Amino acid sequence: MAETVSNKHSIRGKIKKKIFRYIQILLCSVLTVGCIFPLIWLINFSLLKANELFGPKFLVWPKNPHWENYRLALTDGKVPQYLVNSVIVAVVSVSLIVILSVMMSYGFKRMRWRLSNVFLNIVLLGFMIPIHATLLSNFITFADLKIQDSYFALIIPYVAFNLPQATFIMSGFMDTIPDAVEESALMDGCSIFRLLFTIVLPILKPAIMTVIITAFLNVWNEFIMAATYLTSDRYRTLPFSVYNFSGMYSSNYSAQFAVMALSAFPSLIAYVILNKHITKGIAAGAVKG
Amino acid sequence: MDRIRRNKYVIFALVFPGLIIYAFAVLYPIFKSFYYGMTDWKGIGEFNIIGLENYKKVIFEDKVFVTSLINAAVLAICTVLIQHPIAMFFAIIVDKLGGKLESFFRAVLFIPCVISIVVTSKMWVNVFNSSYGLLNKFLDAVHLGFLKHDWLGDQHVALYSVVFVIMWQGFGYAFLIYYSGIKGIPEELFEAGRIDGANSWQQFINITYPMLKPVILVNVSIAITSSLKQMEPIYLMTNGGPGTKTQFVANYLYTQAFTAQKYGYANAIAVVFVVICLITTVVVQKIFKPRDI
Amino acid sequence: MKLFRKGLVFLVAIALLLSMAACGKKASKETSPTPTVSDSTPSTPAEETKEPVTIKFFSNLPDRSSGQGLLEQTILDNYMKENDHITIEIEALQDEPFKQKFQSYVASNNLPDIFNVWGQPAFFEAVMEKGYAAELNPADYASYNFFEGSTTDFSYNGKLYGLPRNQDITTIFINKAIFEENGVKIPGTYGELLQAAKDFRAKGIQPLSINGRDKWILNLFFQDLVIKVSGNQQTIYDASTGKTKFSEDPDIRKAAELFKELVDAGLFQDSFVSADYGAAQNLFLQEQTAMFYMGAWEVGMASNPDNSEHFRENVGLIPFPVVEDGKGKITDVCAWNGGGYAVSASSPVKDEAIKLLNYMMHPDNWPKIGWQQGLVVPGQKYSDYMTGEENVLQVQITDVLNTATSMSGTPWNDFNPGDWKANVENYIQEFAAGITSVDEFLAKLDSAVQ
Repeated sequence: MAETVSNKHSIRGKIKKKIFRYIQILLCSVLTVGCIFPLIWLINFSLLKANELFGPKFLVWPKNPHWENYRLALTDGKVPQYLVNSVIVAVVSVSLIVILSVMMSYGFKRMRWRLSNVFLNIVLLGFMIPIHATLLSNFITFADLKIQDSYFALIIPYVAFNLPQATFIMSGFMDTIPDAVEESALMDGCSIFRLLFTIVLPILKPAIMTVIITAFLNVWNEFIMAATYLTSDRYRTLPFSVYNFSGMYSSNYSAQFAVMALSAFPSLIAYVILNKHITKGIAAGAVKG
Repeated sequence: MDRIRRNKYVIFALVFPGLIIYAFAVLYPIFKSFYYGMTDWKGIGEFNIIGLENYKKVIFEDKVFVTSLINAAVLAICTVLIQHPIAMFFAIIVDKLGGKLESFFRAVLFIPCVISIVVTSKMWVNVFNSSYGLLNKFLDAVHLGFLKHDWLGDQHVALYSVVFVIMWQGFGYAFLIYYSGIKGIPEELFEAGRIDGANSWQQFINITYPMLKPVILVNVSIAITSSLKQMEPIYLMTNGGPGTKTQFVANYLYTQAFTAQKYGYANAIAVVFVVICLITTVVVQKIFKPRDI
Repeated sequence: MKLFRKGLVFLVAIALLLSMAACGKKASKETSPTPTVSDSTPSTPAEETKEPVTIKFFSNLPDRSSGQGLLEQTILDNYMKENDHITIEIEALQDEPFKQKFQSYVASNNLPDIFNVWGQPAFFEAVMEKGYAAELNPADYASYNFFEGSTTDFSYNGKLYGLPRNQDITTIFINKAIFEENGVKIPGTYGELLQAAKDFRAKGIQPLSINGRDKWILNLFFQDLVIKVSGNQQTIYDASTGKTKFSEDPDIRKAAELFKELVDAGLFQDSFVSADYGAAQNLFLQEQTAMFYMGAWEVGMASNPDNSEHFRENVGLIPFPVVEDGKGKITDVCAWNGGGYAVSASSPVKDEAIKLLNYMMHPDNWPKIGWQQGLVVPGQKYSDYMTGEENVLQVQITDVLNTATSMSGTPWNDFNPGDWKANVENYIQEFAAGITSVDEFLAKLDSAVQ
């Protein structure tokens, strides 16, 4: 008797649980639609002719996709050229950010000197400084040094502004690992730099992943510095192509949509391939922070 | 061995390259701005040193500057009170899904964060467009036409449209942070809760929330400081308009320098801006400092 | 160890990239200009200087495939074809970003060799005054047939620093088909304009598109109203310079009230406050709005093959309507010489840049090609280039210009230097968006006068 009651209970519980689960899935789906539907709309409208945009339908499945928009995006939008620049700037910046932040964190955390904490805090201060407050001065400085309109005009500030966060993550991680291994390596007469690259780097791998991902996302998508410091197309990065193109084809929206879709494409692909690492890396960094 | 760790040259070699770049591109411009902030430079020709005149004006007289700060506060409040609870709610739900579904939702919800802000901002400008934009068409389609607005032009709505886009763009981050926070809570705690017969709400109040508190605090303080620093979405969507209804500090100083040609004054804004960011961060950290960590 | 190797690969990759970047930089330097021809020999014949020269050209016409942008590009391409050793590097941005970038170039004393300017005190006066623009020799342009007075705003202290490219005049472009189909009268007076707005709205059509996000267009619209109310071109300038007050001048107040009436009647398209140039124009090109308020530099719309044939057949223009009890005539127009070009005084290739400028504005190039291809209304005499094949907009605008009894000159929002422009443009946008009332708007304008 008692058993059947609890059985009934558990059956009802199971059904309830199932319904609950479906509700959960439904809710998540609604949210997902909210998150990515504008993107789908964007891609949809990028395949239309300029005059097909108007009308009551908010999704128009094009019978003849207007690929011309994408041709314009590739040629006049200069997406490939900007993509190359983006890759160069991002790879160099992120590499420098990783190397410099590892070196600095090691210098602050493991080396013994009086002002190490003071300097660490000065670097961490950079966290709070808004990029935009430095746009005016840096523009003039770069012009004086004649490095405005070169890759350096982007790489230098990108590295500088990502260092505080990277150093924060690295040094935070370093705090959690004991330095016994390093001690013994040093005892054996290993130099600091060899130690850094053979022993410390592998240990820091999770932190490095986090730094690479956050820095890469920051650098790859950065716009206002790229728009302010650079003058010629030669060094411009991907986010600028959208901006530039919207001037060239200011009244051809579907072509603009094509450029937007196209310039979002590389990071989307990278994300789809690496999404596990990316979400893990971001989460690790954030929870640490 | 201790000697190696105290070796001045090694320390210098480790720390100097990073420090010099940082000092050159982050610290130096602020000092330079402080200097220009004391001038009446119009961005052209010669200028006079006028002392702290500009700074006084920014702090005591500039109404647009105040508007910009209020807008940042609105954004911060909306982020904390709307975006974060939703993000946390979904983090909890997604965490319970398990399996492929869980990783699918986790992956998809982060997508807006990997797309450049230029693309998303321009995209939203189009979504908000009243002639062919997605939003008004959608409202028409579901017979909610009376809700249609000039989303970026209406003085009462524009700020919230901008705020919405910023929250939309940042949702993935907030979600992911809560999600991993929840993942970090030992499963045994929930197990124990279930044995005690706690329902979902009780579980949340008694287990999830207390365990998540440090993450919430971190998340909230990030939200507040980053609200202050918004620029690109505003620059690309409204440029502060209509009038100055959606102005934010960073965009304001940019237009003051390059549109109004008040270069000295804009630099003064920049310096005050930095100080405000510093103070806010310190205050926020004081308030939200997780006590047990 | 694996990671060490990875790290090594990483480092090598960086080294490689860095050197690539360095090379890229060097390469760009090699192509960049070296020769600085001494100032005493201003016009060295092209045959003598065969060293490669790069001229940096900064334009506000990012659309290189239609209208003025196409014209500019065509001429520059021709020039490069005729002069092998010359490379022209073009940076083109839309108006607002252009102005911002221009300011940052000026602030860093780093102007490109040749650049677009607006012959307006707000924009160009300080540039001339502080010696950033190269002085031009007026004698060079004796045969260029610039309209009388058109170079005034490009001169300072009697010296010439720039050349205008167009005769700018505000106008209302109309789509005749939309008017006919809906039985709406093409407006000749303010009352008819207001009625048209109401009629179109009643039929669910957006009457007139305007790029309110860009603000300056609203200032022009307001100026047109003031002209038609007061009949005196000076009215708005007197208030702008503080001789009279915006809030006390009855004509200006009347114009502000009319402006508000039009906004309230829904004359401007939905969300005009957030519409930029492209958005506003797009609506008109796609025949979504019946009218489009813009400058005459858009006459190219009627010849641009990208626009639909239906549109090209039905487009027309009208002068700004008169106000019923106003003193302004239909022939009192808001017209000026806005856009133009100047050369940087500190350009390392100043003489080459001036040569290019002279080539561009040569009667056979800008005015002739521009007029005959239906791309612009030149700032130079173009009656000699009439072919009889002008598009309808060109014909109509020429008519308006020829019959004009008074012209305004520099738009009022560009009339004063400093932050005047930024302020009054913000104020009118607030007014148009309904944030401020007539009184508040006029009071704010007064407060902007120094």
